Amino acid sequence: MLVIENIVTAYGKIEALRGVSMEAQEGRITCLLGPNGAGKTTLMYTVAGILHARRGSVRLQGQELVGKPSSEIVRRGLALVPENRLTFPEVSVRENLIAGAYLRLTRDKAGVAEDLERQLVRFPRLRERINQDAGTLSGGEQQMLAVARALMARPRILLMDEPSLGLAPLVVEEIFRTIHELNAEGVTVLLVEQNAHMALQIAHHFYLLEQGRITFSGVPGALQEDEVIHRAYLGGSGASSH
Amino acid sequence: MADFWLEVADITQSAMDGLLYGSTYALIGIGFTLIFGVMRKVNIAFGAASLAGTYASLVAFQVLHAPAIVVFAVSVIASGVLGYVVYLTCFRFIAASNELGSLLATIGMLLFLDEVTVVSTQGMPMPYPVLFSDTMLFFGPFSLRSDLLLVFVASVVCTGILLAVIYRTRLGLATRVVSQQPVAALLCGISVPRTNATTFVLSGFLGGVAGSFIASSVGLLSPLLLIPVTLKGLVVTVIGGLGSIPGAIVAGLLVGLLENVFLYFRGVTERDIYVMLLLFIFLAVRPRGLLGRLHA
Repeated sequence: MLVIENIVTAYGKIEALRGVSMEAQEGRITCLLGPNGAGKTTLMYTVAGILHARRGSVRLQGQELVGKPSSEIVRRGLALVPENRLTFPEVSVRENLIAGAYLRLTRDKAGVAEDLERQLVRFPRLRERINQDAGTLSGGEQQMLAVARALMARPRILLMDEPSLGLAPLVVEEIFRTIHELNAEGVTVLLVEQNAHMALQIAHHFYLLEQGRITFSGVPGALQEDEVIHRAYLGGSGASSH
Repeated sequence: MADFWLEVADITQSAMDGLLYGSTYALIGIGFTLIFGVMRKVNIAFGAASLAGTYASLVAFQVLHAPAIVVFAVSVIASGVLGYVVYLTCFRFIAASNELGSLLATIGMLLFLDEVTVVSTQGMPMPYPVLFSDTMLFFGPFSLRSDLLLVFVASVVCTGILLAVIYRTRLGLATRVVSQQPVAALLCGISVPRTNATTFVLSGFLGGVAGSFIASSVGLLSPLLLIPVTLKGLVVTVIGGLGSIPGAIVAGLLVGLLENVFLYFRGVTERDIYVMLLLFIFLAVRPRGLLGRLHA
């Protein structure tokens, strides 16, 4: 569904991504694991059109995304739940959600209202806080809000960048349960994680990204879990030998 | 005793006049604060662009002999266009991280617009259409200039329209979220440059309203209006709290009121000294302003 080929993204002269190729298949949960600084967030921002690739291609259902503005990428059905959630702190939970459906606010009022209700059923905590400013929410609630906001765009593929970051274990479990449910409803998921243990439990396929390159691709179980964890946190032997 | 009550009546009269006139400061203050709220940057050229737009409306007045309401409308539109020009020249192509770059560009723009208006009018004050200048409304011992009352009512209406746009429309939602979290706004499909540009046009409209009202209540359009309008707009923005629209409204009325009271006691030459003192007191005692947020 999403095919990433030879993506190079650089900050000035420093190449953060040095030719990344990977794929997220329709209906699956694909995980991207890797240590801090490996380029995971850079890759997510490049795919979503926030950063611009120097070379390479990203295709969503055969259509090229590189060079398209982020609004066009959202319109084609790709939504990203960014690292650190990035909710809008000084507008209400309701308006955060409505902003997620920005591109069809004028044309599809009924559909937006319907989707808003669907998110509130999925995340009852958000309904309780619907008129509160998002900045007053707990970390876990903000993460749910960020996920719900992305879903308001009716994505065909949902990218999630470290949704478990900084959250209590119980909340992390809830987030992963939500990802699992969404996938069961047919949403294709590309999940970036450092929490390899949790990620491998729900992933259909996973990749390791180390120092701007994909160093492993396989199904969970193809690699010893402790090796995956080691490489996901520290960057392992695979990368240092390159 | 009678003298005392006469004095109280006079002060009250001054305060009321000031309050009404202060509504134009509120409009200018909202314009400054709107841009700051969205871009977290100060546009020093805002007052100059607004007055230049009002100058442009002189064409409708002098050449086409259009009625006052048309002249005002031209001022509003021209100021909106100039707002967009300021955005293009001072913000669009200067990196967001380069705060000093945009600030200096807007100072340059202020000087440029001022120079253009001075040169094109030979620096002479120009007559501007006046609305019911001779009509007064009387309330017991007090009188209200009906043109100032009209300015006040119209400013309230414009502010109401603006608040409705900001808090009730899709465009308003975009302006609010872009400033809070630009990356997330992009991820929602919102175009950040387009939203910023629209904010400049909106604030330009307000500036055009304020410019024509100020010129109309004086009956003249003069390059000498530029510095007071710019300074008072900035003072109002700071006292109200940077980025706070309700703050700019309250502060605009407050500055207008106090300024007239200072004028009553100390005369026109000293008036602005006290307005500036007010600014320093706020910066020292309450830097976030009347209604500003703590982190702003």
